Amino acid sequence: MKRVMALLLSLALIAGTLTACGTAQAGTTADGTAAGSTSAGESSKETEKTGRVTLTFFTGKVETIDVMNEIINDFNASQDHITVVQEYQKDASNVIKIKFASGDVPDIMTTYEQEYADQGKYLDLSGETEIWSRLLDSMKVNCTDINSGKQYRICTNMTMAGFFYNKAIFQELGLETATTWDQLVSNLQTIKDKKPDVTPWFIFGSEAWHLGHLIEFIPHGYLKQKYGTVETKKAMLANDQSVLDFGSADGSMAVFAQNLLDLQAKGLINSDVLTATSDNCVQDFATGKAAMLSNGMWVLSSILAANPDMADQIGFAPYPSYMPDSKPVVLCAEDSGYCISAETKYPEECKEFLNYLFSADNQKKYSEAAGAPSAFKDVNAEWAPESIVTEVNNALNTAVNIGFTNEKPAGFTGDDAGRLVQDLLSGKYSAAEFAAAYKKAWDAGFSA
Amino acid sequence: MIKAKKTGLHTFMAVPAFLLFALFFIYPLTRGIQMSLTDWDGLSPAKFIGFRNFIDFFSDERAISDIKTTVLFALCSAPLLNIVGLIYALLMNAEFKGKGLARGIIYLPAVISPLIMGYIWYFLLQPGRGFLFHALDLVGMSSLLGNWMGKYSSAMMVLIIVNVWQYAGMTMVIYLAGLQSIPEELYESAKIDGAGSWQIFRYVTIPLLMPSIRINIVTNIIGSLSVFDIVMSLTGGGPGYSTETLSIYIMRMCYGSKTGYSTAVALILFVIILVPVAVSMRMTRSKD
Repeated sequence: MKRVMALLLSLALIAGTLTACGTAQAGTTADGTAAGSTSAGESSKETEKTGRVTLTFFTGKVETIDVMNEIINDFNASQDHITVVQEYQKDASNVIKIKFASGDVPDIMTTYEQEYADQGKYLDLSGETEIWSRLLDSMKVNCTDINSGKQYRICTNMTMAGFFYNKAIFQELGLETATTWDQLVSNLQTIKDKKPDVTPWFIFGSEAWHLGHLIEFIPHGYLKQKYGTVETKKAMLANDQSVLDFGSADGSMAVFAQNLLDLQAKGLINSDVLTATSDNCVQDFATGKAAMLSNGMWVLSSILAANPDMADQIGFAPYPSYMPDSKPVVLCAEDSGYCISAETKYPEECKEFLNYLFSADNQKKYSEAAGAPSAFKDVNAEWAPESIVTEVNNALNTAVNIGFTNEKPAGFTGDDAGRLVQDLLSGKYSAAEFAAAYKKAWDAGFSA
Repeated sequence: MIKAKKTGLHTFMAVPAFLLFALFFIYPLTRGIQMSLTDWDGLSPAKFIGFRNFIDFFSDERAISDIKTTVLFALCSAPLLNIVGLIYALLMNAEFKGKGLARGIIYLPAVISPLIMGYIWYFLLQPGRGFLFHALDLVGMSSLLGNWMGKYSSAMMVLIIVNVWQYAGMTMVIYLAGLQSIPEELYESAKIDGAGSWQIFRYVTIPLLMPSIRINIVTNIIGSLSVFDIVMSLTGGGPGYSTETLSIYIMRMCYGSKTGYSTAVALILFVIILVPVAVSMRMTRSKD
């Protein structure tokens, strides 16, 4: 009897192990009818017994979760053949790589990578003329893939980046926003001299992406204002150093590095630059302990959450010119770009949902929730307090508007660039060495 | 002694265990070796490239720097963990009031997630705004707190200290179990023979503690060489890549569309861990 029991238990364990490790190759719906292949990731796309198609919408945009749920619920209730399900992941840009690798690709997503566009992973949306006709021309250009000339994503919003400054401090000290680097240094020095307890420019360097953004907006921004965003993107894709000139000891990268080192030496940036976080920066700015910070519009909601009374005191200015032949620049880039997977079984249903999402009413709601101006010409959203909108419009009208560049080498991310700046600020490099290291890392990124 | 009779049933009963071992160790290892010989980016079809990934690794300055960081961390962490753990165990093996509470306090950090622990220490040590800064500021000594996580040497020191602080309790528990299994008669005999405290420790305690020493050395070497969480949350591998360990490098390469390469590095890390573990096991076994 014991032998029989032992044999049965062993068999049960083997069966259990094998069953647990198996993957369903064919699924069955609740009413028992065959639902076809249900390989990984496709279960959500099954047609339910009611005949509804389920689409997965993948996003990493935490600020739009609630408004998207609201719009999705309205959409699901408005028709009887599509159900959209939202999936949010904080680390969306990395999670999507796993999803692509495992075949669990969402139908619609807000993550966009150049390498995936190159590999044909996104549906070509160039033919959506009705939507494109509603979009600002500059945003359509920003959504265009440089390599193929096609549009694989439709952005719904714009985002800007520049210097946020405390207007009360500037007014008290009689300062004007700087248009040249020398003026910026002079402003920062005045703040330091007159208000020793205030950090003139707060940089949260423990977060490498922020330092990477400084490179994106200042030295890369110089190239984009000099050659144009599209030409710079082409030069980046071709690694054309006659345009980029990253490694020169007197080039835009080295001058940027030297300027940063000078600010650090003069105590015009926070002394804890390498360990300060984004939260520290927001708190210090919102409580008047920091006079300036560099960031995008996405930081507004955090500042206003920390100090709701600050709306009238937030100023916004372009990055000043810092090379002999340069002009002030401000980032004006696409935001909330929607892509459809090339592998989706339901491209028409995806487009139907996007058309609903892109309606003027929904986009007004979306822009106001996201705190970002709409990219659609027919949407008039109150995306920020009026005083901030005025500041942003002034900056956009007085500086060269530059786009964001995704056209970087695959093996050299903005985060990697930020880590080089960390090394610079920790004393590892001189300005010339930094420029050389940047070019080396950039070149190496192409061979990755 | 009853000798178990080997039968077909006995062999069959080992099949479930073997299946699990094959599934969760042999299969991933085989697939890992296979993947390490390709240029797979996690997306496109993989192409066989021989040992190119391994050659690339040893010609990558960042990777070599990461090996140095990882080995330095392990060389400092593993011995310190054992020494501190043993001292704790010897102290906690003595009879005193509140012993249970003291043991609990020492062990407590080990049950907290190392990632959380890293963030806690980060906010304790932040210069100019952390808890420690404000505490020292109250007594006018805030200048003692430097920007420790902003410099390589001090950041490494912080990482090692936090790691030892977190896991010394776990090491202590293993040593404590070993100490309590040593028969009291042996100590009494040694005393009767005239042995002093040091001689008793050297010739009675240490030899009989050898199984515990072996377990602690092996687990601490593995833990220190594969450290990830504490470094990730305390310094993020920075400033720059100065405190980046191999485990973090593997993760970043994998997410950087170098999946095949990161698998090759994972195999290299496996060997880096295997060698000292094998050597220490051999050395401690010979002393049993």
